[in-house]
Order: sequence, then C-alpha cells, then structure tokens
Amino acid sequence: MNEREKILDKYSAKVFKNRKDHVVQFDNAGMPKEIAANSRSIPGLMSNRGCCYAGCKGVVLGPLRDVVVLTHGPIGCGFYSWGTRRNKAKSEDGKSYIQYCFSTDMQEADIVFGGEKKLRQAIEEAMELFNPSCIMICSTCPVGLIGDDINAVATWAEEKFNIKCVAYSCEGYKGVSQSAGHHIANNGLMKSIIGTGDAPLTKKYSVNILGEYNIGGDGWETERLLEKIGYEVVSIFTGDGSYEAIKNAHTANLNLVQCHRSINYIAEMMKTKYGIDWFKVNFIGIDETIRSLREIAAYFNDPTLIANTEKVIAEELEEVAEAREYYKEKLHGKTAAVFVGGSRSHHYQMLLADFGMKTIIAGYEFAHRDDYEGLEVRPNVKVDADSRNIEELTITPDDKYYHLSIDKERFDALKLTTELEYYKGMFKDMGDGTIAIDDFNHYETEKLLELFHPNIFYSGIKDKYMIQKSGTPSRQMHSYDYSGPYAGFKGAIKFASDTYMSLFTPAWQYITPPWRMQPTLEGKVGGAD
Amino acid sequence: MGYNFTNLNVNPCKMCMPMGAVTALYGIKRCMSILHGSQGCSTYIRRHMATHYNEPVDIASSSLSEEGTVFGGADNLLKGLANMIRMYQPEVIGVATTCLAETIGEDVPAIIRRFYMANPDCKVKIIPVSSAGYAGTQYEGFFRSLRAIVEYAEMDETKNNKVNIITGAISPADTRYLKNLLTELGIDYILLPDLSENLDGGHSDVYNRLPDGGTSLAEIAHMAGAQYTIELSTFISDESSPGKYLADTYGVPYVRMDLPTGVRAMDALVAKLVEFGGKIPVKLQKERERYLDAMIDSHKYSALGRAAVFGEPDFVKAVIQLCAENGIVPVVSATGSACKMFHEQIEPDIKAVAAPVFVERYAMVDDADFEMIEKLMVDLKVNVMIGNSDGRRVAQRLSLDLIRCAFPIHDQIGGQRIQMLGYDGSLQLLDRIVNSLLGAREHTFREELYNKYYLGGETGKMETQAVVEMKGEVPVMAEKVISPADKTETHPCFNCSGGQYARIHLPIAPKCNVQCNYCLRKYDCPNESRPGVTTQILNPEEAFAKYKLVKANMPNLKVVGIAGPGDSLANFSQTKQTLSLIKEYDPDVTFCLSTNGLMLPMYAQDLIDLGVSHVTVTMNTISPKIGAQIYQYVNYMGFRYTGEQGATILLANQLAGIKYLTDHGIVCKINIVMLKGINDEEIEAVVQKAKELHCEITNIMQLIPVKGSTFEDMPLVSNKEITAMRKKCEGHMKQMYHCRQCRADAVGTLDNDESINYQMKQETNVIAIKKERQRFAVATKSGMLVDQHFGHAQEFYIYESDGETANFIEKRNVDKYCNGPDVCEDKVDKIESILQTIKDCSAVLALRVGESPSRRLEALGIRIVVTYDRIEEAVKKAANQ
Repeated sequence: MNEREKILDKYSAKVFKNRKDHVVQFDNAGMPKEIAANSRSIPGLMSNRGCCYAGCKGVVLGPLRDVVVLTHGPIGCGFYSWGTRRNKAKSEDGKSYIQYCFSTDMQEADIVFGGEKKLRQAIEEAMELFNPSCIMICSTCPVGLIGDDINAVATWAEEKFNIKCVAYSCEGYKGVSQSAGHHIANNGLMKSIIGTGDAPLTKKYSVNILGEYNIGGDGWETERLLEKIGYEVVSIFTGDGSYEAIKNAHTANLNLVQCHRSINYIAEMMKTKYGIDWFKVNFIGIDETIRSLREIAAYFNDPTLIANTEKVIAEELEEVAEAREYYKEKLHGKTAAVFVGGSRSHHYQMLLADFGMKTIIAGYEFAHRDDYEGLEVRPNVKVDADSRNIEELTITPDDKYYHLSIDKERFDALKLTTELEYYKGMFKDMGDGTIAIDDFNHYETEKLLELFHPNIFYSGIKDKYMIQKSGTPSRQMHSYDYSGPYAGFKGAIKFASDTYMSLFTPAWQYITPPWRMQPTLEGKVGGAD
Repeated sequence: MGYNFTNLNVNPCKMCMPMGAVTALYGIKRCMSILHGSQGCSTYIRRHMATHYNEPVDIASSSLSEEGTVFGGADNLLKGLANMIRMYQPEVIGVATTCLAETIGEDVPAIIRRFYMANPDCKVKIIPVSSAGYAGTQYEGFFRSLRAIVEYAEMDETKNNKVNIITGAISPADTRYLKNLLTELGIDYILLPDLSENLDGGHSDVYNRLPDGGTSLAEIAHMAGAQYTIELSTFISDESSPGKYLADTYGVPYVRMDLPTGVRAMDALVAKLVEFGGKIPVKLQKERERYLDAMIDSHKYSALGRAAVFGEPDFVKAVIQLCAENGIVPVVSATGSACKMFHEQIEPDIKAVAAPVFVERYAMVDDADFEMIEKLMVDLKVNVMIGNSDGRRVAQRLSLDLIRCAFPIHDQIGGQRIQMLGYDGSLQLLDRIVNSLLGAREHTFREELYNKYYLGGETGKMETQAVVEMKGEVPVMAEKVISPADKTETHPCFNCSGGQYARIHLPIAPKCNVQCNYCLRKYDCPNESRPGVTTQILNPEEAFAKYKLVKANMPNLKVVGIAGPGDSLANFSQTKQTLSLIKEYDPDVTFCLSTNGLMLPMYAQDLIDLGVSHVTVTMNTISPKIGAQIYQYVNYMGFRYTGEQGATILLANQLAGIKYLTDHGIVCKINIVMLKGINDEEIEAVVQKAKELHCEITNIMQLIPVKGSTFEDMPLVSNKEITAMRKKCEGHMKQMYHCRQCRADAVGTLDNDESINYQMKQETNVIAIKKERQRFAVATKSGMLVDQHFGHAQEFYIYESDGETANFIEKRNVDKYCNGPDVCEDKVDKIESILQTIKDCSAVLALRVGESPSRRLEALGIRIVVTYDRIEEAVKKAANQ
C-alpha cells in the first residue's frame, strides 16, 4: 500500500469511491494527474471548508474599509466573521469600518414574518450612525429561504440616501464551499461598482492588484514594491481596499491576479468588458516576486520601467541577501505540508523552495480543478448542479471604457513566454512522491501526519492544535499568527524567521512525537539471539 | 445600537445558539457533535472555540447544500452520522440544529429514528438539540443541550446519595476547581457538563481524537435518582433548565444558585453542600481566610473602581457580586442576551455599593451591543472593563484595561485557564481588577494631587439625584455639576467627535487691539465664512436675546463663544456683560472665548470667575522677530507699538496669560495660522511651547488670503501641507483636524452653519392682508424651517396666523416609535396617530407628503402646503392663500 492507499483505507466503500479522486500521489512517471475538486463535501468528516457567506462576506467584501458590510441574518454569522482574517486597513480618512461588525440580528419573529422591514430600519440606523457612502448587504441561510427581497431594499436605500447599496445573496448553503461566495462577490462588484468612477490616472503605467487581502500587511508590501518601481496602483481587491478606489478599477492598464481562485472571475470579466489584460502574479516567494515584476515590466516594454524594475530587484535582494543565506542554511532540507485556501498552497511552495524546503503534502480547501491542473483543464471540467446555481454574468465590451494596452501581436508573443492570462496550477510544481489532497478533512490530516511526519505543517486554526498535539509545529496561513507580511523580499525573510522560530523553539525538545517512539527498522542487535 | 437603535446590531455582545449547544456537548464523555446545516456554521464555531481553548475542536457538519434546502437534509444527516461513527467510534453524538435546518423545518428526532431503524446494531446515543441561531444566544444554547441530554439519556431512577451539579459555560480551570471542591467536601456528585479535560487537555505522547474526559452517560443515568440538584444559574428559563426537568420528571428537588464568585455566593454554595453531608476541610477555610484578607488588603484601591461588566447573565451577576462586596461600583452592566430578570437580579447589589460613595448613575442593559456599551461607559466614566475579549476594541479606544474573563478570549492565550470561581478564583479575579486600578493610579496620582491641592484647581462636587429613564431599559441617573473636562465632550471645537453639538458665536466685540497682516474685519458679508466676518454687531442685550432664541430651537446648543469679529478682551465690558446675562439664564452652558492674548494677564481671573471653561489663543509665533512680520501694530495701554517691540509685548502677555489659565484648570487651545515663508519653520516650536504650557490642543490653520489685507498675495497653503504639518506636530500634542474657520456670528454645528436664519431682521416688507386666524401644523426638524417629511415627523409645531403675524402655540408629539408588533404592525397606525394629533388644524406644512397620507388629509379637509421655508414666513403665506 502506498501512502495514498493507506489514507483511504479506513473509509467505507461509498466514501472511498468519492474520496479516492480527491487524493493524488505523484509517482516517478511524472504523468499529469487529474483530481476531483469543487464538489460537495462528505457529511460528518469534518471538512475544513467554510460556506458561501464566508467566501463572499468574510473573504472578498469584508476587507473593504469604507463599506458598511451589513450581515442580514441571525447574529452568529456576523459575529463569527468579525475581524477573524486579521486583514489590515489604514483609516487615514477616518472612515474605516474594518473593526466593526454590523448585523440585523434577526429574531424568531423576523424569520416567521420576514426580515425586510428590519433590514430597511437597520440601514436607516447605519446611515444615522455612520453615514457611509456604500453599504453592502450579505444574506445568511434563512434569508434566502424566507424570501426577503434584499435587492429591492438595496434599490430603496440607493434612492433614499443617495448612496451605493449592493445586495449579495450569498446564503451559506449555496455552492459547495467558500468558492461560491467568491463568485457571487465578484459578480456584485463587477455589476455595481467597477466602472462607476472616473478619477484620472496620475502615472503612465497603472495596475490593479486582484486577490490580495492584505493578511498581515501583504498587500502593503506588494504595493510598496510596485510603487517604488513607478506603477500607479489604482485599486486592490480587496485588502485595505475601498469602494472609492474600486469604482475606478476599469481605468487601469493591467490586472495582476494574486489569488487566482477567489478573483479570476473579475479578471476575466474586466478583460471582456474593458479590454484589460491580466497576469497571474505571485508575490509570495523571492524568485516568484522577481518573475512577476519582470513579466509586468516586459508587458509595458518601457526601457526606463525595465531598468527601474531591475534596480528595485537588485536593491531589495541586497537588503535581504544576508538573512536569506542564514535562513537557507537553517531550513534547507526541512519538509513541509501546506493546506490552505484555493491558491496559497501553491504560492507557499514557491516560497519554501527559496529556502531549500521541500513541500511533501499540499492541499486546498475550496480550489477548482484549474487551480491544481492549470487553466488548460477548464474545457474538460464538468459543470455540476451546485456550480450552475451560481449566476454567470454575460459581459459585453463597454462602449466608453474599452481599451487595449498592447496590440494582439505582442499579446500573443508575451503569452508564449509569460503567465499572461494563464495560470499553470499547482501540480506542475510538485515533485515525485508528494501528495495532493482536495477538501482535506480532519481524519486525512491526522493520517498524513502519521504517514509523512513533515517537519512543519502550514494550515489554519481548525487543525492547528491537532497538529501540535501530534508533535508537529504548525503555522496559520490564514492569519499568520499575528505576524506578516510574508509577501515580497522582506516578507520572505519574515516568513523564514517565523518558520525558524516554530521549528527550533526549545519547547519541542521536551516533546516526543509518536513516530519517534516507533521502531523504523526491525532487526537483531549484534550478538544476541 | 444607540439608545434608539434596535434594528442594527453594531459589534455584537453575543453569539448564536449552536455555539453554546456544541460547547456543552464537549463536556460529555466520548461525545461528538454534528451541526445540521451548511458547513460554515461548524467551521466558524470550530475556529472560535479553538482560538479560545487552544485545543483541537472537532465539530462535524451535515454540509447541507442548495439541494438540501429543497428536498430536506435527512440524507446528509444520515450519511454524516454513519461517517462519524465509522471513523471515530463515539459513544454519544449530539445533533444540534442551525438556522437553516430550523427554517426548512427539519424533524431531527425523526431522522435519528430512521438512522436507528437502518442501523439496528447501533449502540451510539444520538441526542437532538434544537438550537436555531435566531432563537437565542450561546447562553441559551448551552442549557438547551444540557436539557436535551437529560431528556434523552436513559435514566436509572434508583435512589442514590448523589448531588447533581449543573453549570453553564464555566472555564475548564473553574470546572476543575469545582470538582476538587466537591471531592474535598466529601460530596458524591454528578457534574453536568464537565469541560475540564476535553477543552483543556495536556500534551501526551499520543493524541486522542475522541474527547475522553467529561461526564459519561452512565453517570448521567444516576441524575434521576439523585438526592438533590444544584443548578448554578439563576437566569435560565424553566423550559431550558435540566434541574427543572429532573424535578418535574423524577422528583429530584432542586435549587438554583449563583455562580460561586465572591464570599457570599461561595459561602452559600458551601453551606448548601454541608446540608448534604459536606465537611469543610481546613484547606477551604484557609482559602476563605486568604480571600477575606485580600479583600481588606485591596479595599482602598477597590473603592476607586468604576467597572463595566459584560457577558452572559450568570457571569455578569457573579462579577457584580464580587465587585459589590469589594466596593467596586459596576456602573455599566450589560448582557447580549435578551434577559427579563437581568435588572431585578443585579440592581440591589449595584445600588448598595454605589450609594455610599455618591455614585448616583449606573446603567443596566440586556440585549446590548458594544456600540451601546461604549456610549454608556463614556457617559458613566468607567475605569476598568471586565468581560470577554470582544470588549478589546472599546478598551483600546478608551485606553482602559480589559480584565479578560469568560468566553471568548481571542487575543490572548489561556482563555481556558482563567479562574473566577470559589474563594481562590475570586481572589485571582479581584487581584487582577485591583492591579489594573492601581496601575492607572500609579501613573497619575502625583499629578492629580498636585493639581488638586497645590494648585487648587478642582472644586468639590455635589451630586443630586434625578432619574432619567431611557426607553424604560437603561436607568441612568442625571448628574448636576460639570467640570471643564466634561464640557470638552460636548464642545464641537475641542472634541473631534463632538460634531453633533452646536455652538453659537456672538458677534459683540468689534474692536481689536492688534492688527494682523492677514486680517481684515468686515461686517456685512453673509456669504463669506471666515474668522473676522459677521453680518452685524450685537450689543449684550441683543446677544442675550439671540442666544435665547437659538437655544429654544436648537436643543443641542452647548457652547457660547465670543470670537470677535475683533478681540473679545479688547471689548471686555461687552464680553463680561453678555456672559453674565447668559450665565444667569443658563448656568450649565459652556463659555468659550477666543483672543489674541494681549489682554489675557489682565482679565484671566475675570474669565475664570465668569465661568469661561475654554479659551483659544491665537499665537502664531514665539519669536519677536517673526512676530514683527506678522503684526502691523499692537495697541497696548494707550500706546501703539510696532515691529519687534509690539511683538514682544504680545508674546509675553500671551505666555503669561495662558499659563495662568491652564494652571487654573481652564482648557486652552492654541490657534496658529500657517504663513508660508514666515512662520512655517517655527510652528513645531510653537506647538512644543503650547505643550509646556499644558494646553489641550493646537489648531494649525491655513491662511485665508483676504483681498485688501497686507497678506492678500501670500502663497496658499495646500490641504496636504497643512495635514503634513499637523501630522508632524501630532507627536507633541493633540491636533485639531476638523477646524472650519468659522464666522464671528456662526450658529449651529460645525458642518451646518445656520447663522443666516438668525440674523436679526431690521424690518419685514411683507404686506399682509388681515385674515381670519387659522391653525397650522408644521413638520419641522430644526424648529426654524419647514424641513421635515410629513410621515417622518415625530412632533408638530402648531402655529396660528391671521396672515399678518404668526404665533407659535405649542408642540405636539406623535408617538414615533412603535411599541412592538402588537400595537404597530404597519404604518397605518402611525398615520392615524398623526392625523389625530393635528385634526384641529386647517392646513399642514411639510417638506413632502406621501400619496396615501395626502388622500387621508384631504378627506379630513386639511389643506396640504408643501414647502421649504422659514416657519413664520411659510405660515403667513399659507394663511394668505
């Protein structure tokens, strides 16, 4: 039995049939692997997945600092998504609601008689208390079931208060994971926000950063690098992002996609509507940051810009050179497991490689097949009922704002050599013998620890303590355990130093992981019979 | 949720039922739980519990999808149960419902029966818990689980000698304490639930995924035959009470007691346990003595405490009892649960501890959110917070310590080990509270003593009692004497968040004794808004009359300022007379005055005697050389000084005057006009000087180049530059970012100057024909203008007019807020009550009137005048129509 088979062994026939396609082990043949993804979780197995609401409100909309994101539903969902992702935001203009939680706190009577009236009143109160320029309503499970017309309320609020108000029907039961919520959030931003502003650009080369949620300040570090080179960052989706910035996103020359899973919809829709090309970038990892910066510069093909890019890369590299060597020496050869999100497990493998660490286990909570296998797999993906229920917008080119930054010939040429409008997926960067799991659950995580005993396990809060109980250091990749940034050059060093701390804390010397007590070789001691 | 906000919860002080339900299930041996609903519920709750307990928290989900909402979730739940049993072999499974399952009407007991039918060999006890997220908070959810456990467990009614102890969500450390106590007293007990090991486990060689600690079903079976039940909760309803169920079903007598925090509650519990044969060990006696000793050791510092306590009702009550017996006044007590008995159970203790120390104001709120708690805390001057870590944002904003207790603790480690029960736990909690108070004291007491006794700044306070009921649920008592610092809170200029308060500048001071190069005083431009501008000069009597008029219409008017148009102290007799008149009429008003400071040393004591609490001095420089460039001349004691000589006199007087004021507790603000190329390099030094002089805030302003003034061609200072300068100076002291550079006759809030509405009319040239007197109902927000939508009006101003004059008769209130769904199901009732209010009027004047009210008004023969105008004018016009 190889490790994959051992993991699946305990499952009942039914569960085995389902899970076997979600667990892939890479063998020496190096054949491209298929994986089942974005399908329903199995009840009772303690998946790490969240719900549609979590993806929409918690991930994509939550970080918008100048928006009152109002949860329409009973109190729990609002409470649980309150400040949990530790995404940071500045509040220079005094309008930051990032520390707040707003909920209509529906009660039994509202479920029975409908909650629209309460929602309207809550909006009136929010206006009186905070006077925001934008309100977003996110609905939770019961709202869709009792049929509150949140879109009508949004229209009413826009007319009454002359603000922007967008309703998101992101009930928790929609789709199969957070991913459905990302899509719904993307649609709302595309339909109602992007393209409504007309602030002029201030620099020649401008970009949006898509899918960067500023966990631990990653967005700020990325923005700093881009601005140092000379780009204008029009908007960030959505870490430390704002309604005021996002409404101008369509004016940018280029979209940079960090988290492919959560935001690819917007990148693609903006391409159709505004002609804006997009790059799959990755600012996690030193080599990846360099690749991304060079590809962006190549896109604009301006000698000054290219020179600036090289200058900044050289400067930043020099600054971290010594620390990089030090940590590389300490971390070289350590093995890691990475289990996060729908894009991060790939990004972090690249960062780990910078320091000579080897990723032996990787998995996603809510990725789709293209996140594993690359965009080329899209035509082969079967659309099931759960995905069909999520609206696909029909987008047509915009008369006023459609603009191409480069001609088709150059576009085609670039596409051959760079990740222009292409995402290769995680699998191509994974080595022999390593294992990939989709929608990993509690049991599988435990089994992986037992079989592979990686030196460190990067995951989230839900499995953190179980991992540590088994004697393995863990770091939370959803919130960085209060640390960060991990993006860019300096972030990579921060990550390495955090990893070093986790691995080499004296406390571990007093702990014996279970596998150290199991004999690995059986034989006789010389001389004995 | 301010006092009047009931539909928007801002920063909740509660969680949902499923959270409590699964937490309680963690106290059962070899039990796992599954949430029937979408998987986010389980993920969110696992996340929150794991962060608090620093332990693995495994809660399964039936992962309902959209299909489940249409066809029901039975299949998912059945699969989930089968998988859990196969993978983990639990002995008990709790199935807690969520909003989703309850809304689609899942019959969980029936699904469980189906499961047993399909799996006849299944030995696992499966317990359904109905816990819709909208039906209550985690507090109720916790007890619902316990109730379901005793309802569904197989019971053995054979009488035994055990005592059932039932608790709410107490920490694992407290649970261990309680178990230890019971053992040492020699009580044979059954504890429900027992979180002590499962949510605070150790590190062993092998990680055991199934919670192996906790109360077993075998033990629970004996609860039916126990001699007695003690339920450590006094708020939970009968329907959710396991003790009540055991009493009703098996005749086990029971008592509800407070959580044993503080000497009284702990004594009561110990006494009760002694009734059942408990023997008090020496160790416990010593523990009690130590707590008493600690109470005495701390009592002087405890008495300084003005606490805000928030959380689940039983927790809040326990902490209040501890506070009360230690002389700490819990001035704000709040719970997120809607809890009927909250007030009546906690108020006696609060009252008893508050009265002897002259604290007349305290608040108790249930169904509270942090928005409300914060407002009350500011209002009631809380100096320490006690509750879960969700209060950290408030604590940070108000620079207070938060004594972390209860669930959840998300920003610190060790939430599961916080103790507050028993003599030991009480001692630990008391020490933490007192140390916080001492910490604050240590940093401030020298300065306070110096100010109070050496400088004699503070005066004694007398507090009188008056009860103000706020919506019937927040009894807050009113206070009489207000200090300058209190007044700052309602001063729109000195307090950046005081924007809702209005001020009036009375233009009584035309003369000036310094000619600044940037200033040109003009008296009659209503469209220009900057310092030095007014439309007319008033004499003190006129100013007094204007104040009365504005105050009558603007209840949020808190501040009377003298801001020129010249210098308030160059016209001291007018200033003095005006302030005296107003002070006699309205002793609580805040007086504020701005001056160039030249005459400050001469009049500072007079200002203090007049009750001026806030003074703004414009001090552009502390260098006579630079001053010489800014000031053309200075008229002082009958002579005109120019150049550095004049600037030196001005500066010396400014410094001496400011020092005198701040030494006497007057709040001083320094205005600095930023003049490019003249004083911009020096501003930081001016700010540092202001700090040395103990000023409160500095306001660096842009120059407004005025045509005709010497500096008319001066380069403009951009917003960016001014902000950069303020930011730079922020390191030294507080900066004003919200200055509007107001007119000398400004009226209203900073954002809404209404001075145009209050200019004294010379004469009116309306030729009116005398008509029969008619009555008019006016919908108004401001009291000055017809500016309210008919349907939104809370009150109507009733006027009578014959077309020539318009007389105000009275205000009539419409009950704007409905009193619950019974009396106010829809708007019809409200329109009806409005109509009742104004049915004797011949016309209604409103900003707008909706379609259906229009029809109903017409049916009653009431005319509708839709207008936006001053009330008097509008009424006269309406009378002439």
